[in-house]
Amino acid sequence: MTAVVQAEGLTKYYGRRRGLEDLTLDIRAGEIFGYLGPNGAGKTTTIRLMLDVIRPTRGQVRVLGVDARQAAVRSRIGYLPGELVLDGRERARDHLAFLARQRGGVPPGRVEALAERLDADLSVPMRKLSKGNKQKIGLIQAFMHEPELLILDEPTGGLDPLVQQEFLAMVREVRAAGRTVLMSSHVLAEVEHVSDRVGIVRAGRLVAVENVATLRERAVRTVEFHFDAPVPREAFEGLPGVRDLRVEGASVRCTIDGRPDPLVKAAARFTVVHMVSAEPDLEEIFLTYYSEEGRDHDLQVSA
Amino acid sequence: MIFKSLRDQRRPLIGWTLGLSVFFVLYVGVVYPSIAEDPATYSAQAVAKYPGALRDLMGGLQDFATAPGYLQSVVYQLLLPALFIVCAMGLAGRSLAGPEESGTLELIVTLPITRRMLVVQLFAALALGLLAVAAVTLLVAWAVAWSAGMDVGFDRILAAHTGVYLLALLFGTVTLAVGAATGRRAVATATVGAWAVLGYMVVTVGKNVDAVSWLRWVSPFHYYAEGRPLYQGFPAGDYLVLAGAAAVLALTAVLAFDRRDVGV
Ligand SMILES: Nc1ncnc2c1ncn2[C@@H]1O[C@H](COP(=O)(O)OP(=O)(O)OP(=O)(O)O)[C@@H](O)[C@H]1O
Ligand SMILES: [Mg+2]
Repeated sequence: MTAVVQAEGLTKYYGRRRGLEDLTLDIRAGEIFGYLGPNGAGKTTTIRLMLDVIRPTRGQVRVLGVDARQAAVRSRIGYLPGELVLDGRERARDHLAFLARQRGGVPPGRVEALAERLDADLSVPMRKLSKGNKQKIGLIQAFMHEPELLILDEPTGGLDPLVQQEFLAMVREVRAAGRTVLMSSHVLAEVEHVSDRVGIVRAGRLVAVENVATLRERAVRTVEFHFDAPVPREAFEGLPGVRDLRVEGASVRCTIDGRPDPLVKAAARFTVVHMVSAEPDLEEIFLTYYSEEGRDHDLQVSA
Repeated sequence: MIFKSLRDQRRPLIGWTLGLSVFFVLYVGVVYPSIAEDPATYSAQAVAKYPGALRDLMGGLQDFATAPGYLQSVVYQLLLPALFIVCAMGLAGRSLAGPEESGTLELIVTLPITRRMLVVQLFAALALGLLAVAAVTLLVAWAVAWSAGMDVGFDRILAAHTGVYLLALLFGTVTLAVGAATGRRAVATATVGAWAVLGYMVVTVGKNVDAVSWLRWVSPFHYYAEGRPLYQGFPAGDYLVLAGAAAVLALTAVLAFDRRDVGV
């Protein structure tokens, strides 16, 4: 199958202000794509272009195989706006029912099931909902018609940690069913555990698209071994990727860049009693993209 | 979508229907009988109170104390159309530009419905909403006029009321169109306000001023107030102009909204 979202040279200027510049990006069927960038980077601009809320200055974007200008395709998309506004006296349940009808219907009981999972109250007039509770209604309307493509702009904004976990579980289920998710965020930590790939935009330009698994492999992590007897320093010196080596009696501590395989094999020659490996700090890698110096697509971060 | 728009606006719709009904009860049911009892005094008073240009502004105030004269000059000349136009402006403003400014429109435009269809349906909702208000107030007007002993046929009230409806629909559609083109409710309201006030002035005070009287062709009131439906019945040609103008403006709204970035 072709890409679910295909952007080609997509550019948007608001008058003379740059929103997005020359974005070329494919989002594949069945993946979760994390779209990252600091404030004002162009995430919302990209997403609004995909939904035909705004029109490109140049370039084009195709969604689910058709031009984003086609209205009918939007019944197969679930969209959560970044600046979700729900107001009025209307109760959330009635508004959801209206949106469901417009999109060609929702399986019975689906809205209630989602509301229960997210602990959302559907009987309150929408203007009286708190920010987080509005966000829950926004998530329900995006998920309820089981769309082939979910486009979520900062979906976790305002949600408490428990609901965030539930939301991530819902996203994984969507992938398990072979459907596709694009979600934006400011921080990698929010999306790295679910995303297959991440793209980073800064100042309107896409600066990198990376596989999360590859990133993990390349990331710098701290490893600690404890042995039953003191070990010689030479046994660990000169191993590929190993830096900041410190050998103190029976313990070895170092950072490793890339695969830990040589280090593990070296350690296996002694009796390991205890081992600690910290989660790789992907965030650090991404921060280099955020800052000006990170312009070159060099993933090697000095340890 | 039509139903949803009407439902969202049910409070203002009900409010305006009640308000306009009260207006009829007061002006026709309460004030008129006392005038009818002593026509000479009131006519003279009215003429004395509103001299010259001001009288023109009120539509002339002829036959003030007769039933059709009173209805025409006090009710249908200025007050009722003005109220109806404000009502239409409110409804139209809240249907598109309002939600765009507040941000609730973003979810609506991402529904699988074309922008064109969306505006067509909002226009239909506006037309139906105003029609409901007009229909109920027409019945109230007729009932109150009848109970106040006015000698005016239902057909004449119907003719005048239809004119008010078309006038309000026209200005409502202007609001919708300017809102659709700019996304700003204040701009839409200001445009309609200016056009309505100037348009009214041109056909009343400006009637005898050569420099501005040609402008009456672009004043919707020219096609409304100058037909004097309470005396002459249905001014079909004028009303067709109003309806046609509303249709053209609705089309403008549809095309303008189709080309725009929403919410920027
Ligand atoms: N309506 C608008 N008019 C003018 N400029 C705009 C408009 N919307 C966005 N921009 C500009 O476009 C750029 C990208 O904005 P965008 O909203 O896409 O950023 P974002 O990545 O979503 O940021 P955030 O994380 O704060 O939501 C910014 O520089 C912003 O100032
Ligand atoms: Mg944003």
